[in-house]
Amino acid sequence: MIKIEGLRKSFGALEVLKGIDLTVNKGEVLCMIGGSGSGKSTLLMCINALEGIDFGRVEVNGIDVHAPGTDKNKLRQKIGIVFQQFNAFPHLTAWENVALAPRRVLGQSKAESRELAEYHLAHVGLGDKLDHFPSQLSGGQQQRLAIARALAMKPDYMLLDEVTSALDPELVGEVLDTLRLLAEEGITMIAVTHEIPFAREVSDRVAFFHEGVIHEIGAAKDLIENPQLPRTQKFLSKIL
Amino acid sequence: MFDYRFQWRVVFKHWPELLDAALLTMELTFLSVFLGLLIGMVMSVWRKSENKVLFWFTATWVALARNTPALLQIYLFYFGLGALGIHLSSYAAVLAAITFNNVGYLIEILRGGLDSINLAQRGAALGLGMRPWQVYVYVIFPQVLRAVFLPITNQVVWAMLGTSLGMIIGLQELTGMTTFLQSQTFRPFEFYLVAAVIYLIICEIMLMSARLIARQYFRW
Amino acid sequence: MNSFSMTFTVNDFYLMLQGAAITFLLTIASGFFGSLLGFLIGWGRALGYTWLYYLLSIYIEVIRSVPLLIQFVLYNSFLAIAGLPIDPFVSGLITLSVYISAYVAEVVTAGIVGVPLTMIKAARGLGMSYLQSFRFVVVPIGARSVLPSWTGLMLGLMKDTSLIAVLGASPPELLRSSQIIITRIQEPLAILIGAGAFYFIMCYVINMAVQRYEKSWTSRRKVTA
Repeated sequence: MIKIEGLRKSFGALEVLKGIDLTVNKGEVLCMIGGSGSGKSTLLMCINALEGIDFGRVEVNGIDVHAPGTDKNKLRQKIGIVFQQFNAFPHLTAWENVALAPRRVLGQSKAESRELAEYHLAHVGLGDKLDHFPSQLSGGQQQRLAIARALAMKPDYMLLDEVTSALDPELVGEVLDTLRLLAEEGITMIAVTHEIPFAREVSDRVAFFHEGVIHEIGAAKDLIENPQLPRTQKFLSKIL
Repeated sequence: MFDYRFQWRVVFKHWPELLDAALLTMELTFLSVFLGLLIGMVMSVWRKSENKVLFWFTATWVALARNTPALLQIYLFYFGLGALGIHLSSYAAVLAAITFNNVGYLIEILRGGLDSINLAQRGAALGLGMRPWQVYVYVIFPQVLRAVFLPITNQVVWAMLGTSLGMIIGLQELTGMTTFLQSQTFRPFEFYLVAAVIYLIICEIMLMSARLIARQYFRW
Repeated sequence: MNSFSMTFTVNDFYLMLQGAAITFLLTIASGFFGSLLGFLIGWGRALGYTWLYYLLSIYIEVIRSVPLLIQFVLYNSFLAIAGLPIDPFVSGLITLSVYISAYVAEVVTAGIVGVPLTMIKAARGLGMSYLQSFRFVVVPIGARSVLPSWTGLMLGLMKDTSLIAVLGASPPELLRSSQIIITRIQEPLAILIGAGAFYFIMCYVINMAVQRYEKSWTSRRKVTA
C-alpha cells in the first residue's frame, strides 16, 4: 500500500505540491488527471524518491520513503516507473535494456536475465524485436520496451507518467492496450494521463489535480461522468 | 647549396632500435590515455558534485593541467618530486605528467559529453533500482564515450605528441632514441625525417584503430 | 658573476624575467606570423575547391601528427644542410609559426564555414562581390565565433615556446632559464612553481578576459540564421 500524508514540495520559490493526502491500495488502478503544472509528475517522483519532499510523509509498503536511513535504491526495485520521454537506453538492444537491471541489481545470471527479458518483451508484444536497438523501434515500441523493462523487476507498483503524451496519435493505442492488459492482470498502477476515456474504462479511481492539491477524487466512472465540483466539471468539459 | 650526401642506409641499419622506441611511444600514449580516461571519468562526475572538496580538487587539477606547459609538468614530476625525495624514473615521470595533463583535458571533454546526455536516462536507470555507480557505469558513460569519441581521439594524438618530451629527461621513446642515434652517427636530418614519418604512421594506426573501435562498439 | 652562489640571486630573478619576456616575444611573433599564414590556409580550404582542400589538409595533418620537438630539429638541420646558417632562435621562430598555422587554419575554416548562409546570400544579393562579402560579412562574424578557440591556440603556443630550448636557442625563454638556475642551485620546486605561476596567470587571466568578452558580445547581439 502507498500512503501519502500532508505532502508539500516546492521548487525554489514555487510551491508545486500543497498538501497531498492519498492512499493507494494493492491491486488498485488510480489515474491522475489535471492541467499541466498541477504537480502530478512531481508527485510520482516523490513516491520513489527521485525527488525529495519538504513536508509530509510518503509510505510505501510501510517504509517511510524519505527517512534518512531508507535504502532508496532497494525501494525503487519494488516501484516501477515509466516516463513520458521514452528513456530506452540507446546503447543496448531491447533485451539488454530489459535484462540490465535484473542482472546488475538483482544479481541474476546472464541466461536468467535473458529469459526474463524474452518473456516480458513478448508480454508487451515485442517478442520479435529482441535484438533491435531503440533507434530501430518506433516511439510506441520504445515506450512498450520501457514498460517491459520496468515490469521485469517485478515491482509491487507501477508509476506511469503521461506515457502516451509524446507519441504520435496512431501509436497511442498500442501502449494503452498494454496498460489495459496490465490492469487486468491486477498490477497496482498510478498513471498520470490525459487520456480520459482510458482513465474512465481502466481505472478504479480517478483523482483530479488542480494547483498542487487533489481537488476531487472518486470512482472512475462517477468522477468523469458526474463530477461534483465546478472546477472538475470545467476541466472535463474542455477535454471531452 | 645542397652539398650534402644523404645517407639513408645508416638510418635503416638502426631499424630495430627505432621500432622499439616507436613501440614505447605507443605504449606510453595508450597507457596515459587509458589511465587518464579512468581517472577522468570519475573526476568528471566530481566536477558536478555538490561536495565542495571534490569540486575544487577537480577544478584545480583541470586549471593547473591546462594552463601550464606539459614540459613544466614533466619537470615537476621528475625534478620537483626528486627534491622531495621521491625519485621517479624518466618513464614514470613522463607517464605521470602526460596522464596528469590528459586528465585535465579529458575532464572537460567528458563533462561536455555528460551534459549532452539526457537527464532522464539517469532517472530511468535509478527508477529501476540501480545504484548511482551502476547508473554511471552501465548507462551514462557508454553513451558519453560515444558522444565525445572524436575529441577523445584528438586527445590521443595530443598525448602521443606529449610523450616526445620524454626525450628531454632522457627517456628513449621515439624522439629520445632518434636524438641518441643521430648524435652517434651525425646524421640529424635523415634520422629526424624518418622519425617524423614514423610518427605519421603511428598516428594513422591510432586513428584507424579508433575508427574500427567506433564501428564495432558504437553501431547504435 | 664571479661568485658561484648556491642560492637564488638577483641575477637569477632577472634571468627569469628576461625568460618571461622572451616567451612573450616568441609567442607574439610566431602567433602573428602563424595566424597570418593559418588564415590564408584556412581560407583556401574554405573556398570549395576539393583538390585545394585535400592538399592543404595534408599540410595540416602532417604538422599536427609530428611532435613539435622533431619539427624544431628537423627544420633546423634541414637549414644547416641547405647551407643557410640561420640562428637557431630564428629557425625556432619559423618552426613555431608554421606549427601554429596548421591549427589556426582549422579554426579559420570552421569559422568561415560556420557563418550562416543567409548572411552571405544577403550580402551577395546587395551586389557585393565575393571579396567584399568576405571582408565585410564573413570575417567579422566568423572572427567573433572563433575568438575563443583562437585564443586557446595562442595560449597553447605560449606553452609550446618552452620547447625551443631543444635547439639551444638563446637568449633562453622562461622554462630554459628556470632549468639553468635549477641545475646550479638545486632548488627545483620553488623555481618551477614560480615559472609555472607565470604561465598559469597569463593563461588564466587571458581566458577569463575572453570569456567575459564572449559573454558581453552574445548578450548584445545574437547572430541568428
